[in-house]
Amino acid sequence: MVGPKKKGLVFRYLFAIVLLLIMIYPYIYMVLNSFADWSQVDKKFFPTEYSLKSWEWLLGGGESVIPRPWINAFFNSLLVSAGSTILMMVSAVMVSYALAKIQFKGRDTINNVILFQMFFPAIILLIPTFLVIQKVGMYDSYWGMILPKAMSLWAVFMYTNFFKAIPDTFIEAAKLDGASEMQIMFKIVLPMSKSITTVIFLFLFMERWTELLWDMLVAKSDNMLTLNVLLSQMFGPYGGYPGPMYAASVLLTLPIIVIFLLFAKKFQEGMQFTLK
Amino acid sequence: MRKNQGWLGWLFASPYLLYAIIFFLIPLVWSLFLSVTDWNLISPTYSFVGLENYAAALKSQGVQSAFFVTFKFMAVFVPLVIAFSIIVALIVQGLPRFKGLFLIGFFLPYLASGVVSSLIVKGILSYNSPLNEFLRGTFGLDIDWLGSPFAALFVVALIIAWKFTGYYALILTSGFESISKDVYEAAMIDGVTPWQRFWKITLPLLYPALFTVLILSIGVTFGIFTEVYQLTGGGPNFATNTWQMEIFTKAFSNLQAGYASAIAIIASIVTFVAIYIIRKLLELWGKRNGWT
Repeated sequence: MVGPKKKGLVFRYLFAIVLLLIMIYPYIYMVLNSFADWSQVDKKFFPTEYSLKSWEWLLGGGESVIPRPWINAFFNSLLVSAGSTILMMVSAVMVSYALAKIQFKGRDTINNVILFQMFFPAIILLIPTFLVIQKVGMYDSYWGMILPKAMSLWAVFMYTNFFKAIPDTFIEAAKLDGASEMQIMFKIVLPMSKSITTVIFLFLFMERWTELLWDMLVAKSDNMLTLNVLLSQMFGPYGGYPGPMYAASVLLTLPIIVIFLLFAKKFQEGMQFTLK
Repeated sequence: MRKNQGWLGWLFASPYLLYAIIFFLIPLVWSLFLSVTDWNLISPTYSFVGLENYAAALKSQGVQSAFFVTFKFMAVFVPLVIAFSIIVALIVQGLPRFKGLFLIGFFLPYLASGVVSSLIVKGILSYNSPLNEFLRGTFGLDIDWLGSPFAALFVVALIIAWKFTGYYALILTSGFESISKDVYEAAMIDGVTPWQRFWKITLPLLYPALFTVLILSIGVTFGIFTEVYQLTGGGPNFATNTWQMEIFTKAFSNLQAGYASAIAIIASIVTFVAIYIIRKLLELWGKRNGWT
């Protein structure tokens, strides 16, 4: 009785592992090709000869006018993504706290407007938002990339639902102890929301890190480009140098994977909550 | 809930109010205004053209293709990603241990930038790539992946399905977990085959999770841009020309800001109506299975 059952289990795990390897093969292909000898890039499923030429080219600047443009773009990405994500988190916590835990006239109206805006197709806003940024002189600046993405209605929605589930008695008690609204928000409500904060942070950061269209419109000068935009621009011109392109892809993908894996456990806990 | 905190509530909500005025209300009005002008994004002057932009847009090949391409993407991408994520969820569900670890692994493609996945796929599909050498050598197949209309659409849909499979599988797994084991035991006693069990029991009971995944994936099809921009530019012959691609090309390559604004408004209306109808249909399907 135990024998066949065990066999079935081994088979199941094997199947799951093979499927997982197929799913992440594109990443494996990317990493291997970034280290492959240039004669073998895109020529074999698993390259057999390796060299560091692609990485030397990438980190040394290659044939570009700017020295080390990829490193520069990497830090632009980091700055823009971190700036946007922090602002999105802070604004979402504040607004959600008001919507869930403060009773004031007009709250329902704000709630409805947010819901309306959430289901509104955002595509209509692309051109005029670009014009707004241009008019206020933020074209080709970090703020131009950060500010239009400083607020996430999805995050507000998630936090509001979570905060509503926190019993008011906690807040009442803190109030009696003389805590201010700010203190309650940061010292009581937020520490109770760690796992959902992880989920929201990861989704927002991932989305911001891989944004193309908006950054592409706003960033124009070579030293303002984010890594994603630079990679996109070099797609054609560097077509003859696929090796360094794979190295640049690794540079873009690795940080986000590391961040995700660091928070993976908390992320799963949080997902359990959001899916209920 | 405490009362008499009017100013405090507005203070905490003020980031949203500011944001909504600058990045929603003003752009919205501006967009409506632009759509009745012939402005070219650069020149200081423009003139009003009434509804001419709309009339021209509805007749143009770009807009018509965007309308149909979106539904074609939906027809290919949604079944693909649903099938993939159900398979992944079923497999992970059958593992007694390390479930979480596998789910994390399957989630990793979600982290890929569209530019990166396009680059990898372009490499894998290049003429002398190992895949094409293999297909030519073994089956005599010579496929121009990005040059033929259906293959190009399929490739883009497959990239996006790859990206979202693990994320949706995560949602479906928690749906599976909420199905009571008693139902399966009762079914087993009644002698239900595994095939019947999946279609008649699992799938209808999975409805809430499936609804979420369907709505999310349908939403995705209305916002496809990066992969198309990177790989096909909307071609060949408009076969992968999505709304975002069309608006981007007209506004920022051809500098027809007024005309592109009209397209954007048409795109929003189409998106809103289509998603509304699909949502209602899904809810109807749910009601027939006893969900309210």
